[in-house]
Amino acid sequence: MVSIRTVNLTKVFGSVVAVDHVSLEVGHGEFFTLLGPSGCGKTTFLRTIAGLEMADEGRIYFDDQDITDMPAHLRGTGMVFQNYALWPHMSVFDNIAYGLKIRKVPKDEIRRRVRDVLRLVKLEGLEDRSPHQLSGGQQQRVALARALVINPRVLLFDEPLSNLDAKLRIEMRAELRRIQRELGITAIYVTHDQEEAMSISDRIAVMNRGRIMQVGTPREIYKNPKNDFVARFIGQGTFMEGEVVSTNDVLEIRLGSGKIVKAVRSHPEVDLGVGDRALVMIRPEAFTLEPGEGYNEFDVRVYHVSFLGDSQMLQASNEVENFIIEVDPDLEVEVGQRLKVYAPPRHTLAIKI
Amino acid sequence: MGQAAGLPKLLRKIKWEMDAFSWSQLLIVLGSFTAFLIVPLGLIVVRSFYSSSTGFSLYWLQSILTDPFYFPLRLKLVGQFPFITLEGIRGSLYEVVRYQTPTGPETIVILTGWDMGVIPNSLVVATFTTLLSTLLGFTLAFIFAKYKFPGSELLRVVSLIPLLSTPFVGAIGLKKMIVADGVLNVLFHDILHLLPFKIEVTGLPAVIMVQTLLFYPIVMLNAYTALISVDPTLEEQAINMGASGFKLFRTITLPLATPGVEAGALLVFILSLEDLGTPIVFKGTTAEKVLTFQIFNRIFTPAGLISQEATTLAMILLVISGLVFVGVRRYVSLRKYAMLGKGGAWRPRRRRLSPLTTILVYAFILGVLFFATLPHIGVTLLAFAKQWGPTLLPSSFTLDNFRAVLSDEEASRCIMNSLVYSSIATLLMVVLGVSAAYLVSRKKSLPGIEALDLLVTIPIAVPGIAVATGLFLTYLGTPLSPTISGAPLLIAAYTVRKIPFTVRSVYSGLEQTDKALDEVAWTVGASRTRTFFSIVMPMILLNVLAGGMLSFIYSMSEVSTGIVVGDANHRDAPMTWKMYDMLFHGLAGGTFQPAALGFLLMTLQFAFIVGANLLLRKRATALIGI
Repeated sequence: MVSIRTVNLTKVFGSVVAVDHVSLEVGHGEFFTLLGPSGCGKTTFLRTIAGLEMADEGRIYFDDQDITDMPAHLRGTGMVFQNYALWPHMSVFDNIAYGLKIRKVPKDEIRRRVRDVLRLVKLEGLEDRSPHQLSGGQQQRVALARALVINPRVLLFDEPLSNLDAKLRIEMRAELRRIQRELGITAIYVTHDQEEAMSISDRIAVMNRGRIMQVGTPREIYKNPKNDFVARFIGQGTFMEGEVVSTNDVLEIRLGSGKIVKAVRSHPEVDLGVGDRALVMIRPEAFTLEPGEGYNEFDVRVYHVSFLGDSQMLQASNEVENFIIEVDPDLEVEVGQRLKVYAPPRHTLAIKI
Repeated sequence: MGQAAGLPKLLRKIKWEMDAFSWSQLLIVLGSFTAFLIVPLGLIVVRSFYSSSTGFSLYWLQSILTDPFYFPLRLKLVGQFPFITLEGIRGSLYEVVRYQTPTGPETIVILTGWDMGVIPNSLVVATFTTLLSTLLGFTLAFIFAKYKFPGSELLRVVSLIPLLSTPFVGAIGLKKMIVADGVLNVLFHDILHLLPFKIEVTGLPAVIMVQTLLFYPIVMLNAYTALISVDPTLEEQAINMGASGFKLFRTITLPLATPGVEAGALLVFILSLEDLGTPIVFKGTTAEKVLTFQIFNRIFTPAGLISQEATTLAMILLVISGLVFVGVRRYVSLRKYAMLGKGGAWRPRRRRLSPLTTILVYAFILGVLFFATLPHIGVTLLAFAKQWGPTLLPSSFTLDNFRAVLSDEEASRCIMNSLVYSSIATLLMVVLGVSAAYLVSRKKSLPGIEALDLLVTIPIAVPGIAVATGLFLTYLGTPLSPTISGAPLLIAAYTVRKIPFTVRSVYSGLEQTDKALDEVAWTVGASRTRTFFSIVMPMILLNVLAGGMLSFIYSMSEVSTGIVVGDANHRDAPMTWKMYDMLFHGLAGGTFQPAALGFLLMTLQFAFIVGANLLLRKRATALIGI
């Protein structure tokens, strides 16, 4: 178990800066996720940690050891690839045992450790199958077992669940987290699926265009986005632009329509003063149909209703802005209906733009 | 990033990508190619302009370009206007010979072709061969790709038969067909009376005919692949917008297939230019007046050295084929759009034909196949013939030719030599070819790696006789001299000339295996060397085997270096030299014994190509490795 630290890590492909001066710290035993749209550099970052790509600038440390120029095979990382990358010419047993054979582990011990790890990933008895005889989920587990059996210092996951169907994906998520916790290995996980990231991670780094936009717990990046990219990328929300007119108790922001709303800074580091342009965000669940003391009030017209079973989402508009509002599934709403909705200032978040 | 940071970064990158194993792979490839291709070809250029006795001089280039024998084109001023004239153009397109036979007067029209001088002849032959091969190859490819009729798959495979022989073998067979008392005249004049006179094809027209029949499958394969790789939805879209018939063909189908056809055609041009076997078979006619034959004929001075005249001719041949090759690569790399799409997972659009059209298509294809298989039928019949006068078939058959060949001490030795040299060369090609293909496929991000790719593909464009000349220039009088032993230079020549077949097969195998399979091995602790042997090699083994088999069989049928080395050292000569020797210096048996040798070679080739294709089953374009 190690901690991982990068300092100004940079990787350039031709004229594209895939990873742009990224400095991060991942603690002992932490499950850390890189989340971002495709092409944001998250996979490149992971491959640089694994030693599959050369860092153009910056350093990488495992604990205090500088491994920036260390070849991949000496780093002691276990990696799980998106397409599993099982060797087709080897059985399940041979795929898993390969790393142990390289380490010259005695035969008996290899057999024991492969058996143990197969039990851990719940694949006992499939040693002699060849990879093409396995289902996608089983292949996934073999890939994981192969990475685990060598007792890696770090586990690296490159969108490991993206080729599985939705149900299996949710099941495997919990499995991965259970195993990682059981073994206490530091893990870096890459995904573009925010729900996956939220449900599995201790902390998440949101990436865009090679840069880290925000690092925080799932709760922090949802509740307190640092900037408009994170606010828009994570979850859903109603977005309105305006200008800060007062910074007393709460912020007062004049929207395009002239309406003034009361809001709070989305994140302690957000620096907003009078005259600054601001993005106002309200999460769907922050709206209520009941007015409250000092609440912001909006008159909207519903133009689309999605019934989701456990909730109901309304898409609505006030001619200037579009609203996404979560309401009780039992509420009867019709398209075209006018509604008054309210949002408390503490859930009306102001972000600098 | 400024320029200043460039060099240290590059060095770091190289250090990152290249470990000791990669370096050794790179160095053995570069070393062998430098020693046996770059230096020899470089020496050809140097020795064209420099000799120790005269120093630097343009004498040979000048005298070749001013000698009407080689180059009769002259720029003349008529009044003020420059005119290009052909000086010393000889002969006529055809001659008519009339004579009496016991059965009455007979007329033979002999198609001889003009002799326009050696350099124009080579270009004209290559041009005609290319045009005719393209026409024939594309038409067949189009029929097979676009129409559906009973037996089309079988006919398609049969029409690839000409690939199964070297020009040297095919020419012997076809010659028996097209001479005055050959099989075609017997059939069409004597028996069927379809012709009012006999036709003999000889000289340069015969060379064009042989080469066309041997090379059209190359265009056909390329065109066929291109045509079936065109996404049918592209055509359907065009039909949807109102295009049909010839318009559809001209505006959509043809442009999409063009890059494939062009690549095939340019390859045929080079193969025609460098073919030495066919002109040799038609020795004694204008067929001699081509670059390859002239180089071969003059390569040794009476003192046993390499003549500067032949060297300069080789330089000219090298320059011409080099220019054509640059064209091939440009076309092929710039215009890959025909292959865009998901790689032929679709079912190509195929039209069913009406019964009448089916008959017409059959007549056409069978007609082509009749001519295309003539060389093979010819060489096979000759191999088993005891006597063969002016009749359709040999008057009696025998196995004596094979017995004679196998009991001939020199012939057996030559067969053995060929087998040994080709085997050793194949081992070398596998080691070098796998190394080169691995570096090119897996280290694409290294600057300059394209140069390595070019180095191992370029031998396709280097005429064999130029390689032979260069190797002699470089190694005559050294411990590797062919006068001491023929083995080193022959093995070297086979290796550098036939390596593209191994490289291409291995490279395509590597491209089909995900690089993540290598990478995951590194992450679990395998060094690159270990990954190469325990992960990469097992996965591409079939491609290595298939590529090796192709390279082996093309080594067995190598002509140029073989006969030059054989002339210098009979003891170490290969099988192709023995065929050449029997054709022109043999005592009894005429063409029967060389045909028997050719038949053996053809059978071996057939077995290996079928074997290689069975190994690679699904990858049909691997058929010949071109």
